[in-house]
Amino acid sequence: MSEERHHGYAGPRGSGDGPDHRLRKELPEERPATAPEPQAPEQDAPPTVTGRQRLVQSLWPPRASRAQLIVALLLFGLGFGLAVQVASHSAGDTALRGARQEDLVRILDELDDRTARLEEEQQALEDQRSELENSSDQAEEARRQTLAKERQLGVLAGTVPAEGPGIEVTVEDPRKAVGPDKLLDAVQELRAAGAEAIELNGVRVVASTYLTARPDTGAGVSVDGKKISAPYRFKVIGKPQDLEPALNIPGGVVQTLEKEQATVVVERRTKIVVDALRAAKRPDYARSSAR
Amino acid sequence: MIAVLGLVVGVVVGLLVRPEVPVAVEPYLPIAVVAALDAVFGGLRAMLDGIFDDKVFVVSFLSNVVVAALIVFLGDELGVGAQLSTGVVVVLGIRIFSNAAAIRRHVFRA
Repeated sequence: MSEERHHGYAGPRGSGDGPDHRLRKELPEERPATAPEPQAPEQDAPPTVTGRQRLVQSLWPPRASRAQLIVALLLFGLGFGLAVQVASHSAGDTALRGARQEDLVRILDELDDRTARLEEEQQALEDQRSELENSSDQAEEARRQTLAKERQLGVLAGTVPAEGPGIEVTVEDPRKAVGPDKLLDAVQELRAAGAEAIELNGVRVVASTYLTARPDTGAGVSVDGKKISAPYRFKVIGKPQDLEPALNIPGGVVQTLEKEQATVVVERRTKIVVDALRAAKRPDYARSSAR
Repeated sequence: MIAVLGLVVGVVVGLLVRPEVPVAVEPYLPIAVVAALDAVFGGLRAMLDGIFDDKVFVVSFLSNVVVAALIVFLGDELGVGAQLSTGVVVVLGIRIFSNAAAIRRHVFRA
């Protein structure tokens, strides 16, 4: 190994004897007796002092020579710079401090790209959200309308209870002369006068209701197959001012019934509750032809 | 011994004071530190070889730092600052390793 490979330090090797050899002069010359392994393979030209001994000697005892002080000064600078650099580099908020300009530009570009991408994504998500809100609004509106329609139709079909102003008609029939035809006339008259829900002796009268004479006794009527007998009570929801005159017109229902010795009482009520229900029946043959 | 004390005191002062690094010096400080480390290892090896000279050490220390900073500065001006500083660090690292190997042979005889 040549001495020229002492990188970073091209010290003169035994050339001249000026101040170059100050350090060596200050070393306590020669402690050869302490050299434990005289056969050390890499001994330098003065074979009596090994590198390890030089290291120990320079470390202890401390000597405040000019060389030591200068080197201490330089090493102080080195340690200072090292600590400052480490501290400034490891500080969390200044991770970009040491970055070069082109790196910073690149980082900035990447951040811009990322921002643009995220904004696009946000826009898409917002569109999606408003779309979903619209569609759910529409679905909710449709559902509400369907429910309202179902209630209206339920009143007509007799599947839901109904209440409102109306009249109550009671027909006493002591001579058992009132047949299904008379009652049907009464129902028709009520319907013509705008009755919206009719209940006859606990039976809801709807579109498919039929009235027949009772074959067993000859008196009384069966409504939708259910046998009823006098007194017949109609509970009718509708406009009372229309319903009552419709029954009382000359030659109308009331006069016809009274001709049969029946007594008819018509009372206006502000609240009639029609709570007799009819099960919704699925038609076997008829199908909706709409759509 | 005093030199080692100087290094320790420098580290402690640097950690305690935590000075703000001037922006102009910022890119050069890490390279300068590495270059100074290289000079220190070279000096240590020379001391173990028995050829240490403080004047040479001072000159090599300062010139190492200045040249390293100069190379980085030049690289920044030329637009290849990142690559040049990488090269400088690699070269200095190789030298530090070879010096450390020599020191190891002296100290451990292996």
